[in-house]
Amino acid sequence: MSVRYIPVQWNRNKWFYDGVLLAAAILYIALFLYVAPPLADHARPVDAPIWRARAFGTCAYLMLTVILLIGPLARLDSRFLPLLYNRRHFGVLTFFIAIGHALFVLDWYFAFSRTPMLEALLSSNTAFGHVVGFPFEALGILALLVMAVMAFTSHDFWLSFLGPKLWKRLHLLVYAGYLAATGHLAFGAWLDQATVGLTLLLFGGAGAVAVLHVLAAVKERRMTSTASPDDDWVPVCPPMEIPDKRGRIVVLSPDERVAVFRNGDTLAAVANACAHQNGPLGEGKIVGGCITCPWHGFGYRMEDGRSPPPFTEMIPTYRLRLTDGMLFIHGKANPPGTYQEPVRLMEGGMT
Amino acid sequence: MTSAQPFFVGWAAKIPKPLRAFLAAVCVIMTVGFAGAAVLVGATQADPDGGRFRFDIGPQNLEGTVIGGAYPALWVTKGTEAIPAGKVILLNGNGKTGVQDRVQPLAGKAVAVRGILMERGSLRMLQLGNGKQGLAAIEGDAAAIPQAEPLGRWRLSGEICDGRCAAGAMRPGTGLAHKACANLCIAGGQPPVFVSAAPVEGESFFLMTGPAGEALSPEILRHTAEPVTLDGALTRIGNLTVLAVDATGLRRR
Ligand code: HEM
Ligand code: FES
Repeated sequence: MSVRYIPVQWNRNKWFYDGVLLAAAILYIALFLYVAPPLADHARPVDAPIWRARAFGTCAYLMLTVILLIGPLARLDSRFLPLLYNRRHFGVLTFFIAIGHALFVLDWYFAFSRTPMLEALLSSNTAFGHVVGFPFEALGILALLVMAVMAFTSHDFWLSFLGPKLWKRLHLLVYAGYLAATGHLAFGAWLDQATVGLTLLLFGGAGAVAVLHVLAAVKERRMTSTASPDDDWVPVCPPMEIPDKRGRIVVLSPDERVAVFRNGDTLAAVANACAHQNGPLGEGKIVGGCITCPWHGFGYRMEDGRSPPPFTEMIPTYRLRLTDGMLFIHGKANPPGTYQEPVRLMEGGMT
Repeated sequence: MTSAQPFFVGWAAKIPKPLRAFLAAVCVIMTVGFAGAAVLVGATQADPDGGRFRFDIGPQNLEGTVIGGAYPALWVTKGTEAIPAGKVILLNGNGKTGVQDRVQPLAGKAVAVRGILMERGSLRMLQLGNGKQGLAAIEGDAAAIPQAEPLGRWRLSGEICDGRCAAGAMRPGTGLAHKACANLCIAGGQPPVFVSAAPVEGESFFLMTGPAGEALSPEILRHTAEPVTLDGALTRIGNLTVLAVDATGLRRR
């Protein structure tokens, strides 16, 4: 497998995507800062730094929520997939907005003191045993640290340096970060003042993230065939259940997924993980005779899992068998790039 | 997934038409959603209902006698329209630092002070100016401080705040989100104030001290900003009511 660093090119779609993100974030903060105050109509205004901190903090939380909604949405409806591929810029922008929030807070609540700012932040509330009065700032710091690690390692360079598996695992930390941010909001601002807005943000946001993840998991379970690992031959499905030029993902073990593809009357199986960045090949399509990765378009021949020349990427192939109208897969992978005779459906089709 | 669903390789230059309409709709929904959320979250924020600095009436020049103690105050003998003679007013310093170091050596003495009034209802404080202009001993005998009048023991429900922020240094200056900030102020020497949920003897704000008038114990200060019930002895000095508490009767509500 290639460990070369293959940068993904910028193009107009990416610019557009980033433009929309930036516009939405700027619009949020601008409306919060300039349109909301007269509507709130307070007798005496909230301190400007705190108003700004709230604008940036709630914006960051909303963005983090949307980031976590994209994953399950894409699994529920593949039309959302394009949003998934460039989620990293979304994450980095969110990180910068969260930094803004933290700085506004630090330079107000933790300023004007003889105690240095950071020491004040870390030491001024230590009531960790309290539910009401919990030092919720600590959870904010945790969330910010997680976001920092993810933002710094977001570049493709780190993906190829750490390897897709480790990188993916590292970036699952986003859930820890979101949990921390949710606790930060719940035990801080929300316990203090459960306004309509904060209540909706907290329960609507975190609730939507939870519900959509459950729905996506349920759907995934229905869509994939799970096998017990020591079976030699594992049933997949009747071949015509796989749409033409599309794949079906078979879970052999939590770490091993296979993509079974049908191209007309030909069926073949390859590893589900793309050699480029572990993209889910089973969600791809056969384009120009090659299994094409939905993430960045790397292509692999069905019969030997090799990218057509001049490319050199290779992925493992698997044996398939057709018995009594049922497709079976052999649980043991062939080494990457091994030719494997595809299964052909008989004349007239076997439906 | 069916064959008919559009297939789009991430960030290929061309997006199929139906997908383009879908993504455009997603962009619009997201932008409108963000706008709506901003206005909703922003406009429903609670009124900070706090105090304020009275910069509008300018610095107040007063004379009087220093009432020493953990959290010093001034018995005013020569006042202004806003702070007339015969009142007691709490003294506090700039930022999150109290004025004990400056004021304590002058306890019981006649002084002239200059500072900015902060006020929230009956909670009033003077933020002393810097240097001799802010606080200086003056010639002449110090007027006698009014006799402290004991009001007995009470059980009170409310919130332990830092008096300076509650009086108007910050909005919000009370509440859970402000807890760490309040701790910093009190640790820096600013006077802690109990904001009672219901008035007692006509008063809702009480300067807090330890049982013998000393600074509050860390044990009590762990509970700033939380809704608490506590037992303490009330004493009135002029218009200032002091609540002396120990941690034994303190309960979280
Ligand atoms: C060093 C890190 C952080 C610190 C010190 C911090 C501190 C604070 C403080 C003191 C408040 C209460 C402000 C108030 O209403 O008076 C607050 C509110 C909030 N924070 Fe943070 N925060 C940090 C990081 C984060 C991060 C990473 C996020 C989200 C991703 C976040 C989201 C929020 C939200 C949504 C609120 C509620 C806004 C409101 O007060 O109405 N914070 N934070
Ligand atoms: S992961 Fe990049 S092309 Fe497959």
